Parts: sequence; C-alpha cells; structure tokens
Amino acid sequence: MEPQDDAQILKDCPPCVKFAKLDELLALGRANSLWPLTFGLACCAIEMMAAGASRFDLARFGAEVFRPSPRQADVMIVAGTVNKKMALAVKTLYDQMAEPKWVIAMGNCAISGGPFVFPGQYAVIEGVDKLFPVDVYIPGCPPRPEALIEGLLKLEEKLTGKRRWPVVPPQ
Amino acid sequence: MNPKLPPSIPFQPVDYAAKGCHFDAVIAADKVVEAAALLDGAGFVLDTITGVDWMAEGQMELVYDFFRLEEALRVAVRTRIPRDNPEIATISGVYPGANWHERETHDFFGIRFTGHPDLTPFLLPEDATYHPLRKDFVA
Amino acid sequence: MTTVQASPVETPRETFVLNLGPQHPATHGVLRVKMTMDGEYVVRAEPVCGYIHRMQEKMGENRTYAQFLPNTSRIDYLSAMTCTHAFVGAIERAAKLRVPPRAEYIRVITSELNRISSHLVWWGAFLLDLGGFTPLLYAFDDREKILDLLEGITGSRLTYSYYRIGGLYNDVDEAFLKGTRQFVAQMRPRLKMYRELVTENIIFRKRLEGIGPISAEMCRQYGATGPVIRGSGVAYDVRKIEPYSVYSEFDFMAPTFPEGDSKARYLVRMEEIAQSLRIIEQGLDKLPAGPVMAEKVPRILKLPVGDYCYAVEAARGRFGVRIVSDGKEIPYRVKLRSPSLSNLSLFEEASRGMLLPDALALMGSLDLVIPDIDR
Repeated sequence: MEPQDDAQILKDCPPCVKFAKLDELLALGRANSLWPLTFGLACCAIEMMAAGASRFDLARFGAEVFRPSPRQADVMIVAGTVNKKMALAVKTLYDQMAEPKWVIAMGNCAISGGPFVFPGQYAVIEGVDKLFPVDVYIPGCPPRPEALIEGLLKLEEKLTGKRRWPVVPPQ
Repeated sequence: MNPKLPPSIPFQPVDYAAKGCHFDAVIAADKVVEAAALLDGAGFVLDTITGVDWMAEGQMELVYDFFRLEEALRVAVRTRIPRDNPEIATISGVYPGANWHERETHDFFGIRFTGHPDLTPFLLPEDATYHPLRKDFVA
Repeated sequence: MTTVQASPVETPRETFVLNLGPQHPATHGVLRVKMTMDGEYVVRAEPVCGYIHRMQEKMGENRTYAQFLPNTSRIDYLSAMTCTHAFVGAIERAAKLRVPPRAEYIRVITSELNRISSHLVWWGAFLLDLGGFTPLLYAFDDREKILDLLEGITGSRLTYSYYRIGGLYNDVDEAFLKGTRQFVAQMRPRLKMYRELVTENIIFRKRLEGIGPISAEMCRQYGATGPVIRGSGVAYDVRKIEPYSVYSEFDFMAPTFPEGDSKARYLVRMEEIAQSLRIIEQGLDKLPAGPVMAEKVPRILKLPVGDYCYAVEAARGRFGVRIVSDGKEIPYRVKLRSPSLSNLSLFEEASRGMLLPDALALMGSLDLVIPDIDR
C-alpha cells in the first residue's frame, strides 16, 4: 500500500472534515465546563459567590454550576483559610473527587496561610498545597472576582494549551 | 448606686467615657454563681466571659460582662483564681448562654468550670490538650 | 361472631446521627451540626465549631494596635466596618482621642452601607437555603453598587480597613456623595420589588410563618441580640440603647416584630435596610466639613493600664471588644464578643422536635457568619 500523505489527505477531504486529537477535544470539553465544588470557607467565599452572581457571571465560562457533592465536581476552589481541625475534611473531599480533578487555591490563606501566620501560630495550615497538589494560585485578600475569572482562564489554558480570551493589557 | 443593681454585689462606679463600662465589682471566686443568679433575677443579660492570664502574679482573672436591654447599663464582675489550679463553679445553670463562653475560656486557658455539663474543646480540635492563650504557651 | 382486631405493631423508635457539614451549602461557612434524628424530626442538634478558628484573639496579643486593625475586618467580614469600629472605638476611648465630627458622620454612613450589603447577602443566601435561586442574583446586583461606592473610598470590596485609630484612612470625594444619593434613590423601589417578589409569596410565607419560635426570655438567657431579639419583640439595638459615635443625632427606628418566628426575624432585617437608607440620607444632609483624622495621634500607641470596652450594633447583633492593656504597645488581651456565637448558642434548644428543613430555615434566619463564632 502506498504511504499516505497527510497534507494530501487534508487537501482532498471536503472542508467539513477536521482532524484533531481526541485529547484536545476532551480537554476543550473539560475546560469549558469546569464544575466547581462549593468550598467557600471564609471571606474569599463571598467573592467567589460574587463571581458566580450577576455582574461577573461565571456561567459565561461554563463554571456556574457549583456542585455540593465532590463526586460531581471537577475543580475544588479552596476559598478561605484551612485550619488543622478542617484539614482532614478538606483532604477527604479532595480524595472523594473523581479524576480528572484540579485545585485552585484562591486567596492568600489558601496559598500560604495568609495574614494568620505569626510566630507561635497553632491552628492554621500554611497553604493548602501542603495537603494536596494545587494547579492555580490566585493571590489577594480577598482576590477580586475578576482575579478568580483570570484564575479559571489560567486553568483552562493549562488544560487546553490555549487561552480563551486575550490578556487585557494594563491601561 | 443604681437601683437596678443587686445591693449585695460590691459594685463601684466606673468612668464610662473612658472605659466603656458603668459599674465594676471584684468578688471572690466562690461567690460567682450567687452573683450571676442575682443579676439574672434583676434582668441582666450575659454579654461574655473573658479570661486573662496574669502569669506574673500567678493568677487568672475572669471577667463576666453583663448588660441591660432597656437602658444603657454595663456592669463587669471580676474574680481571680490561682493559676496552678484554675477552677471555678459554672454559671451555666443560671445563664444557659454561659455554656459556650465557659467552654471557650477552658479551651484558651485551661480553667476548669466545675459542674459544667460538657467541658470538651469548643474551638480547638477535639483531641487538643493545649491552652493557647496562656502566656507560657509554646506552639 | 367476634371480629379479630389487629393490634398495632409497636416499632421501637430508633434515632440516627446525621452529620451536617462542615462542608454543606446551607451552613454559610464551616459549621458542623451533629443532628440526632428521629426520622425527619430533629431530636438534638449539636453545633460543633472551630473549623475556621483563626486565632484572632491570640493575634491580638502578638500585634500592635495598628497591626491588628486588618484582622478586625476579617472577623465578621460581611459587616467589616462595624467590627473595625468597635476596635478603634475602644482604643479612642482609652487614649482619649477626639474623633472629628466629619469622620464620625462618614463612619455612620459607611457602617449603614455595610449593613445593607450584609443584609443583602443574608437575604440571597437565606432564600437559596429555602430553595429560591433568583433573589441571590438580584441581591448581589444591588450589593455590587454598594461595593463600587465603598471601593472608591477605601480601595477594597470586602475587607476594608477604612476606620483608623483617630478617624478615617482618607476623606470621601464628590463621586461618593453623589453616588450614595443615587444608590438610596434607586434602592427604595428595589425594596418594594423584593417585597412583591418574595415577602408576599405564598410558598415563602408557608415556609417561615410560625417556624422556629424563639421567646424573648430565651434570647435574654442566651445573650442573643440583633435581629434575633428584635424579632422576638424586644426593642434592643445598641445604636439606640447604648448610643455610640453620632447615632444619637439621627432619627431612625429599630424595627421590632413580636411574633418570634423566622418570618419576624426576616421582616426585621428587611425593615432595617429601609431604616439604614434613612440614616444614610440624613448623614449625607448633615455631613459637616472638617478634617477626618484626630490631631496628635501618636505613632507608637500605648494605652494606659486597664480595661477598655466598646460595643457596636453589627449586622448580626451586638459586637463588643474588650482590650486589656498593661501599658505596652501590644495589648495584653483582646476579647471579641461575637454576636453569632450567642445567636447560635440557642439553636440547640430552639430546634428540638423540628423537621429538618424547618431547622435549616431557623438556622438561616439567625444569620450566622461562622468566622465570627470561631474568631
């Protein structure tokens, strides 16, 4: 059989046939419909709710459906301080989420313990990445809803390799 | 002396503009339940229970804050207990709201409230054995 | 002929423990409630707190007075201005700092804006608990307008550290004054729309009328304040009974409803939004000119030895601060009296024998912010 020339095949096929890797297609599907787990712990939770509400509207990015059950969620947005009493529950929730799963650490507390780290501190876990791997870090105390949206777009970029919207240049 | 205050508690007037409190009384630790019952009978509300660790003096102080609902009248009842064996009777039989305040004070200072129905950790993890607001606490 | 009567079979009643939280959409934060259930009825509901304990009181002993100020915004982050007010108020009392009148009026205006935004979040989240998703979107839309105004003067949307020791961070500008008047004018018809959309809705009324009765005596015994005690008929409002700042110069009402059920607590908060709009209007009309910072506030602040207290009416109830100073630049002890702790402490007694959804409606009507309890 003569070797097939990919470029020739593409030229001959009618324009409505596109070739793509299945991985890329799945990644596009996953990135456009990330379902977050409702995991607001403290102040950042209010900014997460504001991001899901009318003005900032996470639904545009497919991420409006906050699932209370970890079995149905794709991404865990850790919004708030994790302390030692809560750490076991957070780890259990992470373990209960089905693969593929991602974690966004929202706010300074989830990144490194935030403003609650001082010499002699006894209760706060200094960063949720001490419990499980984090994909995107969003700094702020609390980060603006636009920052959360940017964090989601960064996660989408991590999944698909492409950004959905261009980065807005500083004015 | 304000007529709303029970006369047997030794209240002293306090400068409200500077301190935020109208009357202040220092009593012995074994008179706390009686004082709480008198203030409850007079219609006061328990605001909060504050523990203070006076390590240099070897004592722990408990400040019980009360206020009234009908007019501006804030009173504080203070008592001191020895730091090596901090024990005092519970007032949760008089004020059910004191249950959680006492659990929190026990969490932070290790003060045992005798007669308390459930003196388990409230804000600290269930297996915590440390008392973080003591001045000699090391994390 | 005798008829055989079947005797009823006695099934022994068995209870089971249902764990609500700490991750649950209805607990408004990380609260765990161990509920012993008899079928759908709550036998005993035991709240377990501490999952967001962030050592605020310990930090009070490790931070100077100015360094602790950002912490105060994060205690009850929905009414952050009032928590900061209590802290700086106690220090100003102790250090005998005279806050200029313009700063006091702006503090009142911003506190009331904060109260409205807190009640809007409560309203949206409460209705979300009861099953209605739409009011959350309306509430957050109105709230964004308040946050725009406050962001213009403070730089922050949620955790403002706007009140400083002796006054304010900076003065308000024309855009804020104009924008606040526009907001007040636009919010009043929205309240009317909320009433028609939700308050007079028959399903809503059936969910709340008669649910979760709390008597005034129970409130007094547990120290519950704020809309909880005002929904049980007692007109206790710190702004009226123990006036602080310049509240005594304003003409407003502390709304009180006598029924003591969840609907009464709901109506108290909706009416409070209307009263806050009145206070804001009066504040804008009466705003005096002048500086917004006291004179001669020391850079390194040391309070004289002793105890200093201050209490404010936060959106949830009476929020108090007690500072014990030993003369140094860091406090010896900072005690925070949290309204949500006292409000939640009566939940165990009040929810006995209730159906589970009714118990959740009761918990929502108490308006809890869990970091306020755990500090």
